[in-house]
Amino acid sequence: MKRRALWSTALIAPLALYGCGSAAGPDSSEGGEEGTLVVWDWKSADATAESYIEQAKADFAEKHPDVEVEFVAQPFDQYYNLLGTAIQTGEGPDVMLFNGGGQLRDRTDALLPLEEYLAEDMERLAGWEAFSDGGHVYAAPVTLQGHPLYYNKALYEEAGLDPEAPAATWEEFLADCAQIEEATGADCFALGNKEGYGIQFFMSGLGPGILTPDEYDAWTAGDRDWTSPGVKKIFELWVEAETAGLNNDGVNSTAMFNDEFALFDAGDAAHVVGLMSDVGHWKEFGEFIGADNVGVMPAPLVGPEAAPVLPYDGGIGYGVAEWTADPALAADLVRSLTSTAALEAFYADAGAIASDTTIDASGSGPAAAAIVGQIPTGKPALHVALSAETLELMGRLSQQLLSGSVTVDDALAQLAESDGAA
Amino acid sequence: MPVGRRPPPAGPAAVGTAGGTAHAAVRTAPGRRRRTNGRFARADRLAPYVLVAPAVLIIAGLRLYPLALGVNFSFTGDGDRNGQNVGLDNYAALFDDPLFTASLRNVGLLVLLLPVAVAVPGLLATFIYLKVPGHRVYRSVYFFPAVLSPVIIGAVFNLLLAFDGPANSLLGAVGLGPIDWLGDPGTAMYAVVGVHIWATFGMGLVVFLAGFATLDASLIDAARVDGASLPKVVRHVVVPGLSRTVQFVVVTTMIGMLTSMFGLLYVMTGGGPEGSTYLPEYYIWFQQGQMSRPALASAASTVLFGVMLVVGMLQLAILRRSGRED
Repeated sequence: MKRRALWSTALIAPLALYGCGSAAGPDSSEGGEEGTLVVWDWKSADATAESYIEQAKADFAEKHPDVEVEFVAQPFDQYYNLLGTAIQTGEGPDVMLFNGGGQLRDRTDALLPLEEYLAEDMERLAGWEAFSDGGHVYAAPVTLQGHPLYYNKALYEEAGLDPEAPAATWEEFLADCAQIEEATGADCFALGNKEGYGIQFFMSGLGPGILTPDEYDAWTAGDRDWTSPGVKKIFELWVEAETAGLNNDGVNSTAMFNDEFALFDAGDAAHVVGLMSDVGHWKEFGEFIGADNVGVMPAPLVGPEAAPVLPYDGGIGYGVAEWTADPALAADLVRSLTSTAALEAFYADAGAIASDTTIDASGSGPAAAAIVGQIPTGKPALHVALSAETLELMGRLSQQLLSGSVTVDDALAQLAESDGAA
Repeated sequence: MPVGRRPPPAGPAAVGTAGGTAHAAVRTAPGRRRRTNGRFARADRLAPYVLVAPAVLIIAGLRLYPLALGVNFSFTGDGDRNGQNVGLDNYAALFDDPLFTASLRNVGLLVLLLPVAVAVPGLLATFIYLKVPGHRVYRSVYFFPAVLSPVIIGAVFNLLLAFDGPANSLLGAVGLGPIDWLGDPGTAMYAVVGVHIWATFGMGLVVFLAGFATLDASLIDAARVDGASLPKVVRHVVVPGLSRTVQFVVVTTMIGMLTSMFGLLYVMTGGGPEGSTYLPEYYIWFQQGQMSRPALASAASTVLFGVMLVVGMLQLAILRRSGRED
């Protein structure tokens, strides 16, 4: 009997080991390997990013001819899931792309502080705040992302308004909207809040016209008073815009990407809080309504003491994994990925407002020029300061505010609690 | 259990010989015959273990071990407390989260809607079986959506159910106000479940039709000769004859609803509006990837595993009972 057990053990053991081997996942040579750097992103497979990647690779190859760089383009909707798994196992890419703000700050444990490697680039590039946390810089900005308030100059003209003199105050803005709707049938705002992003754009796009500069700075610095009249006004205005019929129909079932922007592209709405880079931006709008018809206006003044500025942050940026074998080498790759030549190519092909302030943007139409002109005075966007968890809650609450199943006060109380806990 | 019993001659003996050949080759020639006999018996004893080993190892190594790891992981923290033991904190956070409790309520809603999901293919299969005009066409047309990917179906219904889409135009044509199908928390879950039923009832229909094939046609003829009306034929002859088929469809439909709604939810609502269309699996995906809280997601997975275990046990019990009835 005993012998039988022994034999079965001997027979089963190799099989058991084999089983374990196959369960242990792919071999661990990814990253860390001598002479190869692995980069994860969701951009490098885009045709519009091709020349950017080429430039960056050439720049890096000049400095480190023996090191091979491998770009792995992941699908964006799965990117942070895949990255989360890589972080959990402590092995994965050496260099990775991030959205600025919450997505990066939630994962700083897995990232190397880069300030000592990137000191020379601090002046040349803008948008560092979105990639910094606790006094450390964790990624170098590639593009700038912001939330300008775009308007359709053709609709203004059709309604008999001066397209070069958009409303400065909220009252004038409402009057203009009424006039446009009567003359053209177009809605005031194109808004899609299916994913809960609509409120983020609304807050950052119109907030600068509501909060005083002091309130604004305190908010982005982390000192947020959710019960202050200014903050409350943002959410009241969110509800008011819906009840006053400024928005398109079915806001909660309209996807921001890309149904909301499609409404603006089609001339069915006169205004939209869009983006500066990638999608839903001046270049895309220009292709539909004509580059000369895309206007950018400051947020209309709601609070008398507000001083509207362009809200923008670092959009996407490259960071270095904490587990990389040679941090200086990986940081050098990040520097190549943010070199002027590479960023110039990205700006020209993808229509992104690049982080490099030395690039000349005057040839891209009035909207791009207006945006670039406001970058020196711009400030970080309001919603970017919030944690991913608070943003998710805000998205859900914003839908409830539109359907009337929660009051502004109640929503603010929940947000304050979530923000305080974060 | 075949272990220790004397096996039938052909199968295991052949395995034993093959297994013994390698050893035989390294042995010296004298005594080979005697030893072969001994090994023969030993091989017979070992054969069952060897034969079940792959299945056992796959289950243990690729199912049970990861499951245990996952449960263990659910007792650790996220973010700053990564790797630390936090006891039941994740579970407390879970049941404190209105999103998670809403997702569990939605599981309950799915169970309540199960009769509808079974009745639709059942009724349609009955009509086909009773040879309504055009039944051949319906048979293939009804199955068609079952071969489409949930992503395609979701995208199509996104367009159909959009606020300014054809569904609302139809409603408008008959004088009814527009409904924000996917934007109103009161209707969104029903809309998604409705689309899921539309997309998957073809499978149930095929099973029902197979069940009908086993029905004794003479019973129906006899009932008709006796003057039974159509509803009575269905109620007293067709349904009792199909009880096992119905139970099978109930079980498979329930499994389908609980495990394969992710694609539709992802495309059609993204869990919204107001978090009203969350299901546990969507919640797990969301916490793991979007919120980077893998330990909390593990806790949710463990709870979902428990729920599925209970549902699975109940279904096994139903199947076993139906087996006894025959």
